[in-house]
Amino acid sequence: MTSPLPAIAARNLTLQLGSADSAVDVLRGIDLTVPQGQTLALLGPSGSGKSSLMAVLSGLERASSGELSVAGQNFAALNEDALATARRGRIGVVLQSFHLLPTMTALENVMTPLELAGMPDAEMRAATELEAVGLAARLHHYPAQLSGGEQQRVAIARALAPQPMLVFADEPTGNLDTKTGETIMDLLFARRAASGATLVVITHDAALAARCERVITLADGRIASDTGA
Amino acid sequence: MITWRTAWTIARRDLSARFRGLRLLLVCLFLGVGALAAIGTLTGAIEQELSSRGRTILGGDLEVAVWQRGASAAEVKAFAAAGQLSGGMRLQAMARAGDLAAPIELKAIDGKWPLYGQLLLKDGRAAGAPPAGQAWIAEGAAERLGLSKGSTFAVGSAELSVGGIIATEPDRLGEGFTLGPVVLVAEGFPASAGLTAPGAMYRSKYRIALPPGGDPQAVADRLKKQFPSSGFELKTRDKASPGAERFVSRMGDFLVLVGLAALAIAGIGIGGGVSSYLEARRTSVATLKVLGAASGDIARIYLLQIGAAALAGSLLGLIAGVLITPLLGRALGSLLPVAPGFVFDPEALLRAAVYGLLIALIFAAPPLLAARRFPAMALLRARVSPLASGWRDAALPVGLGLAAIVALALLTTKAKLVTLWFLGGTLVLLVLLGALGWGVRAAAARLPRPKRPLLRIALANLHRPGAQTGALVTALGFGLAAFVTLAAIQTSLDANIRASVPQRAPDYFVLDVPRDKAAEFQKTVTSIAPQARVRMVPALRGAILAYGPAKALIRVADLKAIPDAAWPLRGERGLTYSADVPEGNVVTEGKWWAKDYAGPPLVSIDEKLGQALNLKIGDQLTIGLMGVERTATIASLRRIDWDSMGFNYVLVFSPNTLADAPHNLAATISLSPAADLSPPRGGGTEGGGPAIAETPHPNPSPAGKGLLLRALVKAFPSSSVIEVGGVLTQARDLLRQVSLAILAAASVAVLAGIAVLLGAIAAARASRLYDNVILRVLGASGRQLLLLQLAEYALLAGLLALVALGLGSLVAWLVVVQLFGFDWLPDWPQVLAVLGLGLALVIGFALAASLPLLRAKPAQALREL
Repeated sequence: MTSPLPAIAARNLTLQLGSADSAVDVLRGIDLTVPQGQTLALLGPSGSGKSSLMAVLSGLERASSGELSVAGQNFAALNEDALATARRGRIGVVLQSFHLLPTMTALENVMTPLELAGMPDAEMRAATELEAVGLAARLHHYPAQLSGGEQQRVAIARALAPQPMLVFADEPTGNLDTKTGETIMDLLFARRAASGATLVVITHDAALAARCERVITLADGRIASDTGA
Repeated sequence: MITWRTAWTIARRDLSARFRGLRLLLVCLFLGVGALAAIGTLTGAIEQELSSRGRTILGGDLEVAVWQRGASAAEVKAFAAAGQLSGGMRLQAMARAGDLAAPIELKAIDGKWPLYGQLLLKDGRAAGAPPAGQAWIAEGAAERLGLSKGSTFAVGSAELSVGGIIATEPDRLGEGFTLGPVVLVAEGFPASAGLTAPGAMYRSKYRIALPPGGDPQAVADRLKKQFPSSGFELKTRDKASPGAERFVSRMGDFLVLVGLAALAIAGIGIGGGVSSYLEARRTSVATLKVLGAASGDIARIYLLQIGAAALAGSLLGLIAGVLITPLLGRALGSLLPVAPGFVFDPEALLRAAVYGLLIALIFAAPPLLAARRFPAMALLRARVSPLASGWRDAALPVGLGLAAIVALALLTTKAKLVTLWFLGGTLVLLVLLGALGWGVRAAAARLPRPKRPLLRIALANLHRPGAQTGALVTALGFGLAAFVTLAAIQTSLDANIRASVPQRAPDYFVLDVPRDKAAEFQKTVTSIAPQARVRMVPALRGAILAYGPAKALIRVADLKAIPDAAWPLRGERGLTYSADVPEGNVVTEGKWWAKDYAGPPLVSIDEKLGQALNLKIGDQLTIGLMGVERTATIASLRRIDWDSMGFNYVLVFSPNTLADAPHNLAATISLSPAADLSPPRGGGTEGGGPAIAETPHPNPSPAGKGLLLRALVKAFPSSSVIEVGGVLTQARDLLRQVSLAILAAASVAVLAGIAVLLGAIAAARASRLYDNVILRVLGASGRQLLLLQLAEYALLAGLLALVALGLGSLVAWLVVVQLFGFDWLPDWPQVLAVLGLGLALVIGFALAASLPLLRAKPAQALREL
């Protein structure tokens, strides 16, 4: 189901990194509109700006210039703290290296964003989400006690537990073998379908991209192609 | 922002129960707070003991002492009117039993003694004054004279039998320093033994027990006013042992400063520990931010974690501080006036905890606030770059913390100026070392690259992003400076013990040689020791009552406080007269009187006293001598060489001023012809106390000494002979204990320094491991990696050795000269040797801590990195 408001609306987004002497233009004028509920793959070679675009769209990085509205909020006008607050409960992020909190159990990892968003029943919701990704027996295991695939399942559960409108996944299978990667993606797509969230996946994998409704290819900080829009 | 409760839920989850990563912070606070808690508890306990037992220590609510006379009938009437009165006297005497003789402190007491407390004898009896003809004697006297219950011995011209051996004497502490074991006798004994002839050096003491609600100070003031010329020395129960209190308070201040130094050093460890903890938590911080945590949430979560560790460290420190106090008390032994048992002093503990938490706040705030300010992506991206400096955000908490520490330190110390200097000095030191760290980094970055690869990498390690150079410079600087400080203090104190006393001191010091028997005394000595040299001076006691220009005399009794430099105004002093300038004295202003001077009374005073009281030639000085006022005009000022060990009197009068007063002579005997004939400083009657000799005078045979002692005691029963050697040993032991206490306290600072050093090395561990693994992959051997570390630490340590030498010497000088008033006599070769040892030790520690990194297996490490 789509709503009249797009999940993402970006106009002429740019991103410069580094100081004046050694500034690098990472994004060079991105125009992009993503309707709610769409699944989108971002493809492109290393250094093309995929991860940076995801960072800007998810509010992890502020754009140097341009307009950006995410889930109805003007991200361009928000400072870092406001962006963090804006992410709470609305945006879920799955990273290539899982980035679970090593000192917390699987359950605690999933509970944390719920607690940060001030949601009630954090523990019950987290447990339900972990059951949904097949980790009912691993609730109290620490990341170091889980396999790579299991860690990524926890990361997916953590991203989806607050029932976000938008989910970003940065090469979610990059650190996994092919078979486990496929299972994880099946799970990610199934959970997304269940929640109806918008999904943005960054990948090198054309087969994975093909599972998305729309595929955008980036090159040198610009959109080189956009299919299925 | 999330609530504190939610922040705590997340913080607790993320915080390892064993405080992994925060152990340096924990150890540093444990050491610092533990040291302060122990110091505070110990000094508090002693001060409280002194004050709560004041009336027992003093033996009354008020004590009135007067030299060389008993109180007049009017005076006694006034004492008795104030409350219950117990009188008595103290004097130095010789006890003889067969062939044995020993100096004793003869204490005559009346039937009312003790007004407070209880005298216990070894046989379990509680007693008051002994019956006439009997004595209660201290164990030391029994040992030296071979006495037991029922034995007889002689003091002066009378005999006594031992009625019992003293187990506890209630007012021992209030009696102060003595030159022999105590012998308690009935009130009338000294007179019957011929020990109180006019001029004899005895002191009458009257203790008064006031009725309930009586104010001792008010009574003291009234007595002073009623008898202005009496020369009374008055002590109230709340200042029963002012000397002990001054010592404890001064030692306490010093120890608190040492504790604060340890905490300041620990603070660097805390800063480094928190930095590296947050550095290691970089990914967690980033992840939390990705999950929606704002900067304020991050600050709350990590503040709670660090706060919990700080509280745990402080709490452990407090427990250790309380538990260690009795051990500390035992180690300091006889240095302390009372033995503290197990004490719980909430105020001291609270103070220590507040200091610890404030230090934690000051040093943890900058890295904590820096972590808060970092954007999520920058945290993920910049793996090796350090967190940006958060000094602007940190200025407020750091400033407030500093202000609170200064306020707390100043409010709780009596030595405010020294404390202020110390705190200022520490701050300057930290800034200096910080600047030095920055300078080393900057210089290493600009130096030409060495051709040898190991040196090149070692140099690069000093300035690359994430280098721990700043922390290492501070830790090494402090650590090495602490070694220098310790060595300089230790060697200076040792040298003071040797040099503050003459290489050759006289063998005997004799009190109360009758004036008319001077020739006989000389003859007795030379008949047994023909080469001995005897020197005699008139010895009187009196108090300065007034001073200043003739028309504007200032009464001492009217002074609100007596400045430190004017110490001769306190109580009675030794007085003498002389036709010639005393040996070792130089007249700096005015003129010495003629040998046959017979005009108006004249006096020559110590130039330092003159400066302190702004006295000029022609001004007047009034003294109270045996209850009579005598005024003399100041004829000259003298520089006294206190180290000359001569009879050094602050006040020397023209003979016609005092010769008519009843008095005896004090004498010194040097048995060896080569010996310096000057007696101990002040002759035991003036400031400075007895002196100490490391290598005493050429030793005459013990048999010869014994012969002379027996002959003197026999011929002059009312005189007391003090063997200088015994006194010197006693004083030397005391100094040794002071030195030991200073060293023990300063070791805490060194421990903290080592903890900080290890922490700094641990903090650099992650990047070191990465480097080592890469170098290993590229073919570097373990030996090469070790050499690389050695080169880096040696470069730093070499540079810092010079800085440490300067800083450490300065701190040691402040402690030795400014705080304790000793001479600055460090043994430089030894200090340098200790510095070298310190260098070897820190490099050794650094390398030992690096060894696990060298052993890391490249493949395994690469998987984990």
